[in-house]
Amino acid sequence: MSPHRLAGADLIEQELVASMARFIKIRWLAGLGVLAATGFVSAVLKLPLPAPSLFLIGLAILSYNAACYLILKKLLRSEPRSIVRFHRLTKIQIGLDWLAMTALTHFSGGVESPALFYFFFHIILSAIFLSPAATFFYAATATLLVGATVWLEFAGWLPHFSLFAGGAVPLLYQRPYFVAGVMLFFVSAMFVSAYLASTINGRMRKREREIVGLGENLKRAYDRLQTLYDSAQAITSTLELDQVLNQIVRRISDAMNIRACSIRLLDETGTRLTVAAVHGLSEAYIKKGDLLLAQNPLAREVLAGRVIAIGDVESDTRLQYPAEALAEGIRSMLSAPLRGKEGPLGLIRAYSAEPDRFTEADATFLAAMAGEGSIAIENAMAYRALGRLDEMKSRFVLTVTHELRSPVGVIRSLLRTLTAGYAGALTPGQRDMLERVLHRADFLQALIDDLLDLAAVKNAIGLNEEERVAVRLDEVVRQVVERFETTARERRITLEHRLPAGAAPTISATIEGVDRILNNLVSNAVKYTPDGGRVTVSLGVEGGAARLEVSDTGIGIPEESLKHLYEEFYRAPNAKAQVREGTGLGLAISRDLVARFGGQIAVRSEVGRGTMVVLTFPLAVVPAA
Amino acid sequence: MANEKILIIDDDDDLVHAMRLPLEAVGYEVSTAANGGEGLRLIKEVNPDLIILDVMMETMTEGFQVSLALRSPDPRSEFQAYSRIPIVMLTSIHSTTPLRFGPDKNYLPVDAFIEKPIEPAELLKKVRECLSRRPA
Repeated sequence: MSPHRLAGADLIEQELVASMARFIKIRWLAGLGVLAATGFVSAVLKLPLPAPSLFLIGLAILSYNAACYLILKKLLRSEPRSIVRFHRLTKIQIGLDWLAMTALTHFSGGVESPALFYFFFHIILSAIFLSPAATFFYAATATLLVGATVWLEFAGWLPHFSLFAGGAVPLLYQRPYFVAGVMLFFVSAMFVSAYLASTINGRMRKREREIVGLGENLKRAYDRLQTLYDSAQAITSTLELDQVLNQIVRRISDAMNIRACSIRLLDETGTRLTVAAVHGLSEAYIKKGDLLLAQNPLAREVLAGRVIAIGDVESDTRLQYPAEALAEGIRSMLSAPLRGKEGPLGLIRAYSAEPDRFTEADATFLAAMAGEGSIAIENAMAYRALGRLDEMKSRFVLTVTHELRSPVGVIRSLLRTLTAGYAGALTPGQRDMLERVLHRADFLQALIDDLLDLAAVKNAIGLNEEERVAVRLDEVVRQVVERFETTARERRITLEHRLPAGAAPTISATIEGVDRILNNLVSNAVKYTPDGGRVTVSLGVEGGAARLEVSDTGIGIPEESLKHLYEEFYRAPNAKAQVREGTGLGLAISRDLVARFGGQIAVRSEVGRGTMVVLTFPLAVVPAA
Repeated sequence: MANEKILIIDDDDDLVHAMRLPLEAVGYEVSTAANGGEGLRLIKEVNPDLIILDVMMETMTEGFQVSLALRSPDPRSEFQAYSRIPIVMLTSIHSTTPLRFGPDKNYLPVDAFIEKPIEPAELLKKVRECLSRRPA
């Protein structure tokens, strides 16, 4: 049985349950109506009807209706609701109604009774709510009951209560033609009503089922659109290729409710499709091998832009690995192309354990997902390519700088030998000029070393997790401060350091790296502090982090320069005015190094008053031995 | 005193020149080799009093190999007779250099290091120190 038919029936059952209360309400009126009519007919019209029997019928109707009302209430309260019980109650009600109406017919004139007409709406109701067979069964029962009553009255075995007693047309019930005529009309009307109502209702039910089916299709289409939208959002929310691919396969598997999904991408040669992401397939299946375009017409067709379904892996000859697929429990597949701006990227494949699982709607859905996926994959690939380019650039800088370092070293060696007079005595003019050359060569060396440092940080050379140790910051502070003591003394700068009273904080880093950071900061502080000023290096622990602060009473950094501070080669105008040479790389290197060690750097400054640089690092888990 | 002999093993002529001038100026007799192989041959030929050795020549560790060959603990080593010649190693260390110097990582059997660029006064001082520490 298809789900559509079930759902359609459900709708009618719901209507049945809802109508039941209405029938009971109408039956109250019917019961009361019988009582009222009996009263009216016997008291006002003074027709010779058996009033007590009719009253009894009215009361009987009211009492079984009360019982039905109570049963219905109970059924409505019970969970889960059983539709069978509602059906049974309906049949019992019609049965009781039949008996009541047959009795009513008998006591209100038999073949002459107007109550005969009341049989018709029961037939119509059962045609609506019950099966055609049940309807015809009731029509037949009614025919038998009424027929029997009329026959018995006709034969004289049952008394006849005539509406027209004493009137102009006596004993109609005993006229065969009249009785036969009424019965003929009654029976034919009953069956024609049953037939018409059942047929029309049958057609209506069919329509209803179609509408419910359409509604369900619409809901499914809506769900898929929603999934498509959500997925598009999710897969474009990241630029990491692996994450994008995994999101796509997972979301497709969930949305289509299928066994598995995979993405294969074209390799650089454009001749094979290699697995890039998988959801729901075994390791062994994934490792079975690449799809070779030369041997796989199916993959070629998909790459050309077609969505292709394999209805049954067992009988399809187009697969490259049918045995592996069957071993994996896969019976049907659906493949859709991933296409970028420049051409095919690869394919998405959906797998099911059922044969012929994929419909036209699935194909449309997978193609749409593939479309969204292609955009995300292309973006992620472009992002990855950019990253690689950046890496290549850093590597290039590193290599070039390394190459520059050696000749500059030799130039400086030669110049020093020359200025020291080992190649012969120099005139004061020559010496002065050579000193200037040497000075520039020294700066060039500093620049190259800074560039190498920067490239090293960017490439994370010597900074990886395994190269880190627990660095005691107090030792680095002492070492660096000592390095600048002579310069500071010459310029009457007070250079001091403050260490915490307790155990010194330890961070996970490299000694050279931390030394380089602090060296840059103290060097800057000393360089840009006027003679007679003060430079203070303080170490402490604050909020579970190591805090290293370098403050000076120097020239300060103008506000508009603060945002450029970490740009490579940037030097603030007042710094350039103060000290002509400087690479402008120190802070960029420091910032990158600090970040590599998981720390943060903050600068506060006021022109003419001084600068304060604060570094914070997470404390090492294992303290230094 | 007889002039002490110094052998410089370095592939960079210009650097060799920068070192040769101050060394000769103070009276050392300087011979040079442009690579490790030639250096080892000259050691036997010249029997120098001191060797100045560059770390990186054609290969990254050529200098290391020369020093290790000279100081081999193997008693059958052909350089057994020269194992006591002091070695000054020229280095150019930077954080990006894939080599680390330290007793625990790479034991280097040398007596002193000189950082490039060469400062003549520094070079002469190191050479003098090494020569004076020689066992009699």
